[in-house]
Amino acid sequence: MQVVIAEDAALLREGLIRLLEDRGHTVCAAVPDGDGLLAAVAGHRPDVAVVDIRMPPTHTDEGLRAALQLRKEFPGTGVLLFSQYIETSYTAQLLEAGAAGVGYLLKDRVANVAEFAAALERVAAGGTALDPEVVSQLFRATRQRGGLASLTPRERQVLALMAEGRSNSGIAAGLVVSAGAVEKHVASIFSKLGLPPDDSDTNRRVLAVLHYLRSPA
Amino acid sequence: MEDRIRQVAGTVLRAPFTRRTVRELVYCGISGLAGVVGFFVTVVLFALGLGITVSVVGTVIGLLLLTLALLVSRRLGGLHRRLAGWLLRTQVAPPARFGKGKGILGRLDHRLRDRAAWRSVSYSLVKLPVAAGQIYALVLAGFGVFDVASPEIWLLFRHNSGGGLNPMAVVVPLPFGGKYDVSTWPGTFLAAIAGLAFVIMATWLARGINAADRALVRGLLGPSRISELERTRALAVEDSAAALRRVERDLHDGAQMRLAALAMNLGMAREKLRDDDKTPEVATVRELLDAAQRNAVDALADLRDLARGIHPPALDNGLASALTTLAASSAIPTTVAGAIGPRPAPAIETIAYFCAAELIANATKHSYANEIILNIHTERGGVLRLEVTDDGIGGADAAHGSGLAGLAQRVSTVDGRIDVSSPPGGPTRVTVVLPLKA
Repeated sequence: MQVVIAEDAALLREGLIRLLEDRGHTVCAAVPDGDGLLAAVAGHRPDVAVVDIRMPPTHTDEGLRAALQLRKEFPGTGVLLFSQYIETSYTAQLLEAGAAGVGYLLKDRVANVAEFAAALERVAAGGTALDPEVVSQLFRATRQRGGLASLTPRERQVLALMAEGRSNSGIAAGLVVSAGAVEKHVASIFSKLGLPPDDSDTNRRVLAVLHYLRSPA
Repeated sequence: MEDRIRQVAGTVLRAPFTRRTVRELVYCGISGLAGVVGFFVTVVLFALGLGITVSVVGTVIGLLLLTLALLVSRRLGGLHRRLAGWLLRTQVAPPARFGKGKGILGRLDHRLRDRAAWRSVSYSLVKLPVAAGQIYALVLAGFGVFDVASPEIWLLFRHNSGGGLNPMAVVVPLPFGGKYDVSTWPGTFLAAIAGLAFVIMATWLARGINAADRALVRGLLGPSRISELERTRALAVEDSAAALRRVERDLHDGAQMRLAALAMNLGMAREKLRDDDKTPEVATVRELLDAAQRNAVDALADLRDLARGIHPPALDNGLASALTTLAASSAIPTTVAGAIGPRPAPAIETIAYFCAAELIANATKHSYANEIILNIHTERGGVLRLEVTDDGIGGADAAHGSGLAGLAQRVSTVDGRIDVSSPPGGPTRVTVVLPLKA
């Protein structure tokens, strides 16, 4: 997997390079700001870019703006936003143009190296990786609370993991249950929420779930 | 004691021959004349303006004249302030700039309520006796110099008309003074000594009266105490907002970043230990690493909450963005509506944000509401209005705890206000009104 990293803190930048190269990925470029990111992606056409949100010069949302531009100009490159904070308005802007090939994770998640790498691989493959924090904000902000209230606690857990972008096997591993049990939950969730019958394609399923959570009542 | 007397006498006698005296006397002349002219212009314009305003027929013209009088007074005040700076070396900061109102009526209203202009008017009025003193000091000095020079004048232009010498006129410019005739040359020396005395008197009179004028200029033509307090308070409020922002940024670039790197390194170390390795040492290291990692992640979460409480980073992108995240993390469904026109000052955004956070927390704790609506918009006239409405049980009391009193205090630091409407049974609506600038 070809990766470009945009992160202004040298310590984290070097750490990410080492982490990814340890796992056999290629880091084509690691830059400290948004302009560098756009240039690096244009030059290397990587599979995915890991983008810090707060970068110079203003230290506000440079990374987000660069990421949105990347989505427009290089739709083939996945974008994983990587930040100390989850901001609802950032999530909304990022998901505006669809959830395929995007991710938004807290920096804390890098502590679990395997999960972080799996999320990055998902995004590179055109999937989705949303932080549990993003999903819980979506749950709270969703106007479809009536629908969510009809789910059992377990089904809500499964729905949250689906919204994070995980596949059935990912969900089964996360909840420590069998793949069959997950399939049963998923089918029940889809029928309760009135979504089209479960699609075997994980990406399309994530889109359906996110669309449900973000659509007006 | 003798030394002291000699010292004082020396200062008194030498004073006329300093550059400062020349400046003070020039100031007496220019400022005194300007003061007299300013007094009459002000009085005439005001009398006309008030007279015409009261006569009903000419209210508009009268008000315009009053406005003109205030404008002229402000300008005259500026002139006097600059004169004092130039000649008396007394630098006085200009008063608060004139804030133009919107529309003709607004402009007129602001002009008529221009505090600095009214203070200039009072200066113009009080200045008349001062100006009289200043002009007198200059006259005294002028005649004094003339008298001092009388022996030379006698020699150069001896009044020789016909047979005898005409007497020379010597003026004593003092109360009960007058004109004296001197008809002998030695007599002119007496006049010269008197002249020297006049010059010394004029010098000290000028200094005294200018000191009084200086106090007036400082008191009436500088920034008023109130506007000065308003200005420094706004600075203090902005400053503390900026300081909190800096703290948050330092946390983000420092401790938070290092902790994230630490968590990452721990994670990478943990990866190197295979789960199936059952050696006791390896198992212990694995446990310790897991615990360390959990602690690092928990510390990151704690720091994140702490930083949010200091300065929510989304505020840098504007209030709307920060409020969206705030609403999304509320336990009671919260919607944000409204439009923010021109961006308020950072300190105002911070206050509005923490008001909203506190009101949502209040509603969550006490209201049993099903829904909270957060409405925020800027209004004409530079006002930011935040309305937090919930459909709960009501009965919130601004006077008794519940954080509302604290909010009112916080809002009052920028002259904002807070209204609470919460009848028993609900709904509760709290309105916070803030200026756009601190």
